[in-house]
Amino acid sequence: MKINQTINKSPQFRVLSEDQIEQIYFSALEVMERTGGVVYHEGALELFKNSDALVEGNRVRIPITMVEEALKSYPRKITLKGRNGKRSLFLEKDMVSFGTGSDLPFTLDMNTGERRNTTYKDVSDASKLVDALSNFDFHMSHGIVTDAPNPQTYDRHQFMAMLENCTKPMVVTSVDGEGLEDLWKMGCLIQGGEHEFRLNPMFVVYIEPISPLKNDSTAVEKLLFAAEKRIPAMYTPCPSSGATAPATIAGMLVQSLAETLLAIVMCHLKNPGMPLIMGGVTTLLDMRKSTYSYGAPELSLASAANTDISKWLNLIMFSTGGCTDAKILDEQAASEQMMNLFYSYLSGANLIHDVGYIDHGTTASLESLVLNQEMIGMVKQFGKGINTDDEHLALDLIEKQGPGGEYVTTDHTFKYWKEWFMPQLQDRSDYETWVKNGSKTMGQRLKERTQHLLDTYQPEPLDEKLRKELKKICEDADKRHM
Amino acid sequence: MSSDLGKISDALTKGNVDELKEVVQQALDNDAVPADLLNKGLLPGMEAVGQKWKNGEMFMPEVLRCAKAMSGAMDILRPRLAKEDLGSAGKMVIGTVSGDLHDIGKDLAAMMFEGAGYEVVNIGIDQPNEKFVEAAKEHKPTLLGMSALLTTTMPRMGEVINSLKEAGIRDQMAVIIGGAPVTQEFAEEIGADIYAPNAGSAVDLAREYFESKA
Repeated sequence: MKINQTINKSPQFRVLSEDQIEQIYFSALEVMERTGGVVYHEGALELFKNSDALVEGNRVRIPITMVEEALKSYPRKITLKGRNGKRSLFLEKDMVSFGTGSDLPFTLDMNTGERRNTTYKDVSDASKLVDALSNFDFHMSHGIVTDAPNPQTYDRHQFMAMLENCTKPMVVTSVDGEGLEDLWKMGCLIQGGEHEFRLNPMFVVYIEPISPLKNDSTAVEKLLFAAEKRIPAMYTPCPSSGATAPATIAGMLVQSLAETLLAIVMCHLKNPGMPLIMGGVTTLLDMRKSTYSYGAPELSLASAANTDISKWLNLIMFSTGGCTDAKILDEQAASEQMMNLFYSYLSGANLIHDVGYIDHGTTASLESLVLNQEMIGMVKQFGKGINTDDEHLALDLIEKQGPGGEYVTTDHTFKYWKEWFMPQLQDRSDYETWVKNGSKTMGQRLKERTQHLLDTYQPEPLDEKLRKELKKICEDADKRHM
Repeated sequence: MSSDLGKISDALTKGNVDELKEVVQQALDNDAVPADLLNKGLLPGMEAVGQKWKNGEMFMPEVLRCAKAMSGAMDILRPRLAKEDLGSAGKMVIGTVSGDLHDIGKDLAAMMFEGAGYEVVNIGIDQPNEKFVEAAKEHKPTLLGMSALLTTTMPRMGEVINSLKEAGIRDQMAVIIGGAPVTQEFAEEIGADIYAPNAGSAVDLAREYFESKA
């Protein structure tokens, strides 16, 4: 028997060393005391004033002791349960899940190829696909419902479109605190009550500060409501390196972490122990096109580093992958989506969102979701690593088949080939067979597959009584905002 | 009798080599008609397998397992069958041409043909042209298969066909060729009858060819 053995169950990947993480963390602490942030919310300023923080106007500077005290009170694990009744999403260190992004104003129409405004129907279709596609673990709306009766209540209708067509756990967005309260009430109805929701939350609410170091009143209102009701929430900085954050990745990570730490303290002051998740869409401003890039390799690098930091801080991480700047689902889209998907996966981020985004976070594409289903399958296969036990080293088999032998018909092959990734859309046939089958491009196969899923997949319907109760919350909101 | 055929088809599609041999032997012991076992049991079973393979519902290791079972059953059945009973399930000589040591593609094709009921004589890799001619003379196959994986060895296939012509036996068999660099154009250029782009489609293409000649 051998001793001193280390077996890698999966590949190992990290960007930052522990010393580098400490450099970034200590720098962020320095920002908290020296620079602080601004908060445009009276209630939150009140909380800070009654603490050891220094409040001058809207500017808040926070002593390190408060930060380190607050950091201790966040959960290292959150489990979500969708309306399918399955506790399916276990957010804990190195457990990876994939999901869509949300609120894209445009949709690349599958039939016309034109970009147009996103509708309720588009969100419904995306929700249906996410329910059908096995590699999607959670659902964000993908598009934003622009044809709701009132933009001020679109969030309830959007949530409804998601709920009708998707049974998986979700990440939701809301217009404001009042919107979030309605979504939370809807969630409580589905889970069976407030306490049930707390034990089995069905969604996380997505909230973001404004970089650099700015917290607007709506974001804070939502965050404090989430803290009060202990709704899982992520406060996700979206800095663009070179514009709203330093042009160096290290500098952007320091600032992004400081933005997170401010929320950590704020929520702790409101209600210690709320399930807050660390986030970050850390990328750059393209200096030729002045766009916030979703396909830059720097996004992958910074996001993976951010996940390293989150693990060191014992925080759950909301990261980004499967997204692109390409305007249509072309070669650029596939290469960029694959890159950020792959590295976000290897980093071990817990919720990888924005999967399927095209056009730098402005356009939705149903076929893009189906493409990512395939690509996630590929990256997950890589994550399986290599088993090196005797059976897998196969020495006896190599001896048995010998030089010039074959392995196709052996029991060993019969058993283990099934562990391979089985492509559903990628074409591995020879040239003649490909021609015989119509010389189809990946784009054509994606379109066919997407249409097939939309035509045939039936999500488990909502209970009719529950549906009416949920609808009533939406209608009441519409009445209030008439 | 019909329950025997059911058992045969079942053992075959499951790729159960030993069980298939057993049920075929049992059926013969019970005085079943050998041609019926082939035409109503084994061949329809392999046809179902072939269909599933084409539809992507079955995979190479599974199909080859069925082919292995078929081949084992045919070893028992063949001595009991008259030549005309064999129908399309003919005899094949197959090999890799001189200078080429690659054999997996050729072996896969050989197994697939065995699975279709062919009696396959696999003469191996790196076979000089005259070996193909000798084997053709000796075994009198209905089909001669050649494979090359290198562009440098591809021309040997044309030379073998010429040698068959010189020996005056070219018309007695169909010639099928394959291998990664081989194309339909090349097959036509050297006067081969069938070109198979991969091992999995070879049996079907051969069947289509023979049907068109019948």
